[in-house]
Amino acid sequence: MGPQGKSVASGNSMQRVKVYRLNNEGKWDDQGTGHVTVDYLEGSEDLALFVIDEEDDGNILVHRISSEEIYRRQEDTIISWRELSTELALSFQESMGCSYIWDHICSVQRNMHFNSISNEPFPGVSGELQELPPVELSTLPLLVKSVAEGCITDQIRVAELIAQDRTFVPKLTDLFRVCEDLENVDGLRLMYKVVKGIISLNSPPIFERIFGDDYIMDIIGALEYDPEVPQVQHHRAFLKEHVVFKEAIPIKDPSVLSKIHQTYRVGYIKDVILPRALDEATIANLNSIVHSNNAYVVSLLKDDNAFIQELFARLRSPATSVESKKNLVLFLQEFCSLSKSLQLVHQMRLFRDLVTEGLFDIITDILQSEDKALVLTGTDILIIVLNQDPNLLRAYIIQQEGHTLLGLLVKGMITDFGEDMHCQFLEIIRILLDSYTMSGSQRDTIVEIFYDKYMDQLIDVVASSCCCKGSVRTNVKSTGLVGRVGPQSVTKPDILSNICELLCFCVLHHPYRIKCNFLHNNVIEKVLYLTRRKEKYLVVAAVRFLRTIISRNDEFLLRHIVKHNLLKPVVEVFVANGNRYNLLHSAVLELFEYIRKENLKSLILYSVECFWDQLEKFEHLDTFRALKLKYEQSMESCQPKNPRSSIGDPRKRIDERALEKEEEDYFNEDSDEEDSTSARISNSCNQPAASVLINGDSTNYSSFREGSVGLVDYEDDEEEDEDGQKEVSTPHDMPPDSPTSKRKMEVIDHIDQELPTKKHRTKKTQNEIIPSRDDKTLNDTIPSRGGDAACSNCGPDQLLRKKAYHQNLNGSHDVAEGQKEPVAPSRCSNCSANNSFNLREASEEEPSPLTNQVNSSSLTDGFVNVSKITGSGMPKFSDGKPEALSSEPPSGTQASEPYSVR
Amino acid sequence: MSDLDRQIEQLKRCEPLKEYEVKALCLKAMEILVEESNVQRVDAPVTICGDIHGQFYDMKELFKVGGDCPQTNYLFLGDFVDRGFYSVETFLLLLALKVRYPDRITLIRGNHESRQITQVYGFYDECLRKYGSVNVWRYCTDIFDYLSLSALIENRIFSVHGGLSPAISTLDQIRTIDRKQEVPHDGAMCDLLWSDPEDIVDGWGLSPRGAGFLFGGNVVSSFNHSNSIDYICRAHQLVMEGYKWMFNNQIVTVWSAPNYCYRCGNVAAILELDENLNKKFRVFEAASQDARGVPSKKPAPDYFL
Repeated sequence: MGPQGKSVASGNSMQRVKVYRLNNEGKWDDQGTGHVTVDYLEGSEDLALFVIDEEDDGNILVHRISSEEIYRRQEDTIISWRELSTELALSFQESMGCSYIWDHICSVQRNMHFNSISNEPFPGVSGELQELPPVELSTLPLLVKSVAEGCITDQIRVAELIAQDRTFVPKLTDLFRVCEDLENVDGLRLMYKVVKGIISLNSPPIFERIFGDDYIMDIIGALEYDPEVPQVQHHRAFLKEHVVFKEAIPIKDPSVLSKIHQTYRVGYIKDVILPRALDEATIANLNSIVHSNNAYVVSLLKDDNAFIQELFARLRSPATSVESKKNLVLFLQEFCSLSKSLQLVHQMRLFRDLVTEGLFDIITDILQSEDKALVLTGTDILIIVLNQDPNLLRAYIIQQEGHTLLGLLVKGMITDFGEDMHCQFLEIIRILLDSYTMSGSQRDTIVEIFYDKYMDQLIDVVASSCCCKGSVRTNVKSTGLVGRVGPQSVTKPDILSNICELLCFCVLHHPYRIKCNFLHNNVIEKVLYLTRRKEKYLVVAAVRFLRTIISRNDEFLLRHIVKHNLLKPVVEVFVANGNRYNLLHSAVLELFEYIRKENLKSLILYSVECFWDQLEKFEHLDTFRALKLKYEQSMESCQPKNPRSSIGDPRKRIDERALEKEEEDYFNEDSDEEDSTSARISNSCNQPAASVLINGDSTNYSSFREGSVGLVDYEDDEEEDEDGQKEVSTPHDMPPDSPTSKRKMEVIDHIDQELPTKKHRTKKTQNEIIPSRDDKTLNDTIPSRGGDAACSNCGPDQLLRKKAYHQNLNGSHDVAEGQKEPVAPSRCSNCSANNSFNLREASEEEPSPLTNQVNSSSLTDGFVNVSKITGSGMPKFSDGKPEALSSEPPSGTQASEPYSVR
Repeated sequence: MSDLDRQIEQLKRCEPLKEYEVKALCLKAMEILVEESNVQRVDAPVTICGDIHGQFYDMKELFKVGGDCPQTNYLFLGDFVDRGFYSVETFLLLLALKVRYPDRITLIRGNHESRQITQVYGFYDECLRKYGSVNVWRYCTDIFDYLSLSALIENRIFSVHGGLSPAISTLDQIRTIDRKQEVPHDGAMCDLLWSDPEDIVDGWGLSPRGAGFLFGGNVVSSFNHSNSIDYICRAHQLVMEGYKWMFNNQIVTVWSAPNYCYRCGNVAAILELDENLNKKFRVFEAASQDARGVPSKKPAPDYFL
């Protein structure tokens, strides 16, 4: 019998340990320090762990070694176990000592097992395993012990032996069949343990063998006899009878066929049979088998010219039956999807080849199919290609006659797919229009095509789906609000919500394009018709759209909002919502908070002067109190207005108007801006300015308000925006001092940068478009989310992009519109879900997640700081271990997740 | 039996819904959730549950211990998905119950109810595996954006997934968050979902999680005092005993995923509050093997490659 090896020389650091016991409060109590030995318990044949106190030679610990699997080894220096509901742990000074005792425990346990099985000890148990037990029915219990229950060093040895012995697996599967023939249930259950144990050995050479065509079904067969599950599972029957291997185009290469089947079965073992039993390392290895099989299959097929030719020929041929066509498309989808297993460069090449073969023509065809499921499969293929290289599709769309494919995609987005999900269309269009992944002329072209041909379609869908379409303008009486219920159109709300989301995306990605498109076509106003929909989430979506527009901090857009009284529908739905504290309530409050915090003076003045009589009853809310205060501060800084006289009708826009004409109009209008704007505001509010200014200090007005500066004081903004610092240091009640003439100059400036024909912008106008957000006061409180909330799905990403954008702007001021859009540090994780994301890393301002933190008493999740790793399992962690005893390191194959122990 | 009731029965058997059913359910849920406030009012009696993390069969244990919905009024503190094997079924069941009994179950958002997080910790992959496409993931994550951020029980107990935020000193400040967005990387909304109380911290500390903050007892005291609440109830951290009081009973962590990740060996707890807000912690263990049935992760029954 083995373990008398008790080199107990006291003072031997090898065996010096601290003993810990877990107390009731979950803390580890130090029981003392001493030396550990393995020895017989007095008057018994049972072996035990003894820890002798190094100071007084008393026993700190006496523990009879159990045959149960209660021991755990952590790191290199800790052995812990649970004994009668008490958690104990030995923390070794040296890892050698820990290994020594650990091996002792293992071999003692093994002896106990073998004694209980056969009464005769297995030779060589205490030393290194020399050979495997013979594969026979009678030795199955021994096999179980060797394979499944040894300690780690034994298992490595067992794995070696199995790998070396070419006859082992065949013998095992033969034995399994014998057991099954004899209906020997006990044998079969042992067989289950052996096979599960062998898989858990996690040895790639063994996997290669047991997952070979000859054995894998028997291996799966053995796994049907899980002793812990009362009824036998029928995995083989499922695989043989229910699973269908479909061949769209016959595959001739037997090695490819074999890999295809193997992949499915290995996946089945991993996901269906043993998902609970396998550790992460094993799962990772199985995943890598699947992964490399996929790569093998795809790369052989893609290089098989005849195969690809036939595939495309049959996809193209009108003679192909509907059913067969469907299968071909499904095959194509799987093929594209599996290409993820290829190396990046091969993936790129594959897709380029497929496109050359006419992939997009085929998809154009598929998207016109009556079969909606087939259409959706087509979109799935597009998304796979787009995630790889969006420029392939962009290039195709640009050159395609009539831009049929883009048209079909837009149509798909606004088509009612009934019960089916069709959010792919939105995603595809979003990727296509993503300014952060575009380069050069391509971007201009595709964005241009989209805006020229399709934006109107989307807007029309929105406008026509809300009641009172087209007729309702800024002068709707507030009583009209009651009629808000009852959209007559049948457009499904999810389509409208998708359109709204796309529009928000466009606002963020094409700030200049939307300016001219939206302003010319009254797009904002039309989208705000959504506030009349009965679905509250569409109302909120409309509010969020306006909020996104405002987040551009673009004076032209803001002025447009004022001019067309576009906050009116928002205020109306807010007021109608009353004191109900719901998402609409919060979204509107957030919008006003933003206006106040960003100090968007034109909107502050407009909001308070036009809507205070309605908002007054919400004065108990901080938001409006603060807004009013801000307004009053602004007023103090402003000069009193001239009496407003002329009342301009809201400008009628003509959609067909040429850009040049528009340019002139802008110029003309702007030249009398101060009067018409303020006049219209006061008119549309139907209340004299004076009554609004009740809280203002009238003496101030008279002293400041001398010139003809309008209510909406653009100058002031521009002044501050010219220098980001100034906004911080200059009190807002400084009187403006710019003469009107300067103002007009700047209006011209605005026009310059506004028009798409004139792309070069000046430093100044850039700053206007995005006023400095480095304002410390903003960041100190609730960091401004800026426009980030706007694209509901892209919030955080936008924030980072915006930061990048700022850097971009600061770095180079002569940016031509359409040529240097901000470069995103990473792509939006939502817009293309398959992308790896490393947003946290991308931003230097983000706190870097600490790994291996042990100061929190839980299993924590770190914020994502890793690229997604296919098949990464759960993080390693240690449970119930004292800090002093440290913890297991995270598994190497994982996302490095901060974790901690308790 | 209505479609919804039938779907609930189906989900209770851990059978996921069809894609089109998920779509319809999500649209209905959206209409309900959009009416909820960032600080959702909840009446007592109520049973508060912490993280579930896709441990469907353990959640069934939870319902056994706590009683069925709607007989019991529930408040779930988020983290329904990720890590466990049944995030889809778990979340859909809770969502279906929400749609069926909107006043008897409140779901608030956890840090795992996020597009980014679910792409790493399992929910994304699970949807892809179970449906063959990520549409269900898209719909569910859209719903996540609508989930409320916190709850207030009888004006006396503040419930949130993670903890407090330096940007939030009064409950009314939560009002002005437009919550319909991906969980941001910083700011009040992020902190509510990510922060942790920590003994050794005085005031605010950096969180090792890389998002949110650590906050100390004094922060909790002043928050509770200025908002006239008795204590804070939160989840977000594994506690081996299922629940854990901190800072002189001013904040309690409730954890409802027993044997977390199927291996942590912890017990789980729910907190039952009666109509007088008397507390009773109900501790429970993981479902036995028998109760689990066979994992229904069968892959698509046909394949080309």
